[in-house]
Amino acid sequence: MVFGRMAESVRRLLGRPGAVDLRPYSKLLEAIEAREPELRELSDSELTEKAAELGNAELPYDRGDLVELCAVGREAARRALDERPYDVQLLGVMALLDGHIAEMATGEGKTLAGALAAAGFALRGQRVHVLSVNDYLARRDAEWMAPLYERLGVAVAWISEESTPEQRRAAYAADVTYASVSELGFDVLRDRMVTDIADRVVPEPNIALIDEADSVLVDEARVPLVLAGAAETTEADLEMADLVRRLTPRVHYEVDVDGRNVQLTDAGIDAVEKELGGIDLYDEHDTSVLPRVNLALHAHVLLQRDVHYVVRDGEVRLINESRGRIALLQRWPDGLQAAVEAKEKVAVSETGEVLDSITVQSLVLRYPTRCGMTGTAMAVAEQLREFYELEVAVIPPNKPNVREDEGTRLYATREEKEDALVEEVAEVHATGRPILIGTQDVAESELLAKRLADDGLECVVLNAKNDAEEAGIIAEAGTHGAITVSTQMAGRGTDIRLGGSDMADRDRVVDKGGLYVMGFGRYPSSRLDDQLRGRAGRQGDPGASVFFVSVEDDLVANNAPQTRGYEAEGDGAITDPSWLEMVDHAQRVSEGNLLEVHRNTWRYNQLIDVQRGVVLEHREAVLTDGLGDRQLKHDCPERHAELVEEVGEEEVARAARLITLYHLDRGWTDHNAFLAELREGIHLRFLGRRDPLDEFNRDAVPAFKGFLDEARARAAETFLEAEAGEDGTIDVSAVGVKRPSMTWTYMVHDHPFSSALETVVGRIKGTVGSGESTA
Amino acid sequence: MLGAFVRAFRTPDLRNKLLFTLFILTIFRLGAVIPAPGINSAAIREQLEAVQAQDTTGVFTLLNVFSGGALFQLAVFALGIMPYITASIIINLLTVVIPRLEALKKEGQAGQGKITQYTRYLTLALAVLQASSIVAMARTGQLFQGQIPVSSYMPNQDPLTLVTIVVVMTAGTGVIMWFGELITERGVGNGMSLLIFTTVVAGFPSGMTTIFQEQETWVFALICVAGLVLITGVVFIEQAQRRIPVQYAKRMVGKRMYGGTSTYIPLKVNQAGIIPVIFATSLLYLPQLAVGLIGPESANPVVEFLNTYFVTATHPVYMATFFLLIIGFAFFYVSITFNPAEVADNMKKYGGFIPGIRPGRPTAEYLDHVLTRLTTPGSLYLAVIALLPMVALGASGAMQNFPFGGTSILIMVGVGLDTVKQIESHLQQRNYEGFLR
Repeated sequence: MVFGRMAESVRRLLGRPGAVDLRPYSKLLEAIEAREPELRELSDSELTEKAAELGNAELPYDRGDLVELCAVGREAARRALDERPYDVQLLGVMALLDGHIAEMATGEGKTLAGALAAAGFALRGQRVHVLSVNDYLARRDAEWMAPLYERLGVAVAWISEESTPEQRRAAYAADVTYASVSELGFDVLRDRMVTDIADRVVPEPNIALIDEADSVLVDEARVPLVLAGAAETTEADLEMADLVRRLTPRVHYEVDVDGRNVQLTDAGIDAVEKELGGIDLYDEHDTSVLPRVNLALHAHVLLQRDVHYVVRDGEVRLINESRGRIALLQRWPDGLQAAVEAKEKVAVSETGEVLDSITVQSLVLRYPTRCGMTGTAMAVAEQLREFYELEVAVIPPNKPNVREDEGTRLYATREEKEDALVEEVAEVHATGRPILIGTQDVAESELLAKRLADDGLECVVLNAKNDAEEAGIIAEAGTHGAITVSTQMAGRGTDIRLGGSDMADRDRVVDKGGLYVMGFGRYPSSRLDDQLRGRAGRQGDPGASVFFVSVEDDLVANNAPQTRGYEAEGDGAITDPSWLEMVDHAQRVSEGNLLEVHRNTWRYNQLIDVQRGVVLEHREAVLTDGLGDRQLKHDCPERHAELVEEVGEEEVARAARLITLYHLDRGWTDHNAFLAELREGIHLRFLGRRDPLDEFNRDAVPAFKGFLDEARARAAETFLEAEAGEDGTIDVSAVGVKRPSMTWTYMVHDHPFSSALETVVGRIKGTVGSGESTA
Repeated sequence: MLGAFVRAFRTPDLRNKLLFTLFILTIFRLGAVIPAPGINSAAIREQLEAVQAQDTTGVFTLLNVFSGGALFQLAVFALGIMPYITASIIINLLTVVIPRLEALKKEGQAGQGKITQYTRYLTLALAVLQASSIVAMARTGQLFQGQIPVSSYMPNQDPLTLVTIVVVMTAGTGVIMWFGELITERGVGNGMSLLIFTTVVAGFPSGMTTIFQEQETWVFALICVAGLVLITGVVFIEQAQRRIPVQYAKRMVGKRMYGGTSTYIPLKVNQAGIIPVIFATSLLYLPQLAVGLIGPESANPVVEFLNTYFVTATHPVYMATFFLLIIGFAFFYVSITFNPAEVADNMKKYGGFIPGIRPGRPTAEYLDHVLTRLTTPGSLYLAVIALLPMVALGASGAMQNFPFGGTSILIMVGVGLDTVKQIESHLQQRNYEGFLR
């Protein structure tokens, strides 16, 4: 214990996060290879039998069984997929089986390694959930690996957004289930809302195997999954949408540099108050108008069509920022959706209220065993350790990487950057070398594509608008003469093979230098840059990468200490090394901010998780054990007896369960709303030298006190009103017990509106902190 | 309240944290009484009281407080955490001046880690300096103002011994720094603050014993009561705050209206904390230092002036200056840590407002107004508390051992409250009610 601590301290002192030692795994490789000739002789069914024999023991695998598993798995993959796993893939399998994150570069065969590990777990009687970043990959991988699983005698299934509850239940019953992390999360959330045990779909969690682990565990973890239910339909606030349309930018309202907030100026306040008939927006007693103005303004100014959302089939559809894809079933919270709908003059959909939420952390930490693979894990190794207790195993590439990374070219303005990029594209394209250009968002990709087309450079664009085809398109990005413009995450998980997906033209493309990756601006973290670079150079292919950055890029403009005073050359290029360093600095600032958001999501959810646990435990008892019925029988014995007489015990128990569950869920929804409200302004407490997190907990605990008693009392009240119908049932909806007619998911950044204030507060905190250390 | 303590000890995780903290603090105290090699601490202890009686300004006492009484004993931890405090002040000031440090600071955790690393190096450098000067002063007898014969406590003065002492003291500071970080990381509360807290509290028993032995029983009782009243008062005022309601108008949640009560800016009566007292004490140390350098017997009129008014802490002019300095620094410090215009701007940016008041300038003016009205009594309170020991000294020469010195009480209460709050926060994360309501 003490030594462990010391080792940890020393490691921390050196500031070097450790990686898992691969030597124990490497030692087994020879033995695995030695098994090969014998296994080749077996018939298919004998091989399946060999695999089944591995199931006669408990996890973890001892060395002998591990050798056998890898050998059998390798042989099965060779037969089923015509792919003999490389040694490095088997290292990955072993690291996964030990519950680590395996860092394997693009094109190294993560999917196969993951499948072998999943089969390894499944053979020992564990239920494995393979979590992907999206539905497409979940389905593709499950179908692609299905022959392998079959050969090993393991049942596999997948889930997509369209799956029905029956299909989901069946899929979760398989040994290995592929699902996107959000589908799984929402299934878990929906399971918490059921009123009948039979409606539940997700079984007890055993093993989570996470594909693209850094995306899921780090990028997605900043945004909790929120399940909302329809509450009521509101009128479209066309009046406000109209009003804000008449306001003049910079006169009546101002937008922050980072484009995340908009506010009325004094002139704007005057104008709005006048338009609305001389009211006082900030009146002490009536503050109902101000939110409407703010929402309309936010929708009008900050949310741009085709950047943040698209309008399709008369509906506003969100674009997921981190992926650049259309997010089905996602909506903006708290009236913002309706404001955007009013702005676009489409039918206003139902407003929702948050039923419950779950963070990716809580979701993944439900699983006693977790592991995963990704191309870029070391950069976030510390976060993986801090939040998930996961260690990273760095798997060496099968063939050394020979990609040439040029680094960053910096320009003064956006136009000059674009000119330089287009020029470079024209030059490289003339040789026939395939080019992949990574952009920041959908709108940028469209603009760039248009510009390229204007210059006679035909290209294909990958973004949320042709989501369905993008995997096919990206697979062809390595074709001779191809130019592909893509958003950050588009087509992730699909390899770019040189010379097209069938590699027919490979030699010619290799001669030209392989895939040329160009970043149109650096991403908010260096890890995302690496992901783009990783598109080139798979399996020892030649390739190159370069990033074009301008001082006007959001990343630089928002995070660099200064954006003036550079010396640019004639074409706007800035070659001063200190300015190039400034770009790296801006990126590190951005990474720091993202980490802070992640950590805040984590910390603020800890108490909520405890409280949720209390409610869920109680709910479980009501759902499965008839607790609600017993409580109501105790609280209103007379009415209970009467009803039993009229409709029978079973029907009363059913009604009691529904009534109790309704009030529990209702109470939890209200409590959630209270917590959201509390969370929003909690950073202000820092101004009084109080720790906002402590203050949050201090206020949230008493608010939850008596929660169960109150729900029970309300249930009793409702129960007293319940009447037996003529058909011998109790109609609970008559006494106000109803379920949300539909549910959808919210896109919620943990604090959508106040992150920059926390930065300011953080800065003050720095000075105060130093002051206090003198005390 | 007791129940909460019991619960704190029943929660395994929290119990471990508490025990770990106590364990580290115990080692810390041990190191403060173990003399450095080559030092005969018994000889010092015999005559120490006489020396402390000489130190009327409290400056040496302050240094001694920060070393946990170890300075005068030439213990392994003689330097205490003073080098670390000085280093972090210097680094923080440099952050404003040096762009590279400023850039690091903005890079979040990773950058902050590097800054911490620099602070550690600087701490060790300062520790070497300070240890050398202490050893030099001890060697000439200056440390104890010539009251204790050097040969009695430092019999061996060959270079090797001296170097060993310096190395041991520097290493001691390194260890203390590590202790502090360990407590912050694995224990309860802020490690550095708790270490200071421990050293302050460590002086209490001996101080009380002396009073008990030397004074009448009723004086002792009176002092105890006065101390309790004082502590209660300080706790009360440190907790006092004015809540300014804030509403956010960026959301619409169905037809219900939330909030109004949960969102507010808490403004403390003593928004500045203890910093003004420390600043004022340090500043008033300068005249004394100057006089000491030039020589108190000099006929220079300036020296004479300083000698009369600013060297004895009990002189009314000194006390008045001290009083005014604290008030001045309190306002100054509040003004640099709480900028109403900045707060108002940010509230406006995120759709927050104080009901009845327009965002922007009117809000800033309102905040400024409230803050000024709060800081006036707050700074008076600070000054009065800080002056108490001096007044007590003036009233009766026999009360030098009065342990409830202003600075000590402010540190004690401040750190105590913070630590309790943190324990409470741990409890609350498990959904238990805390101690303070």
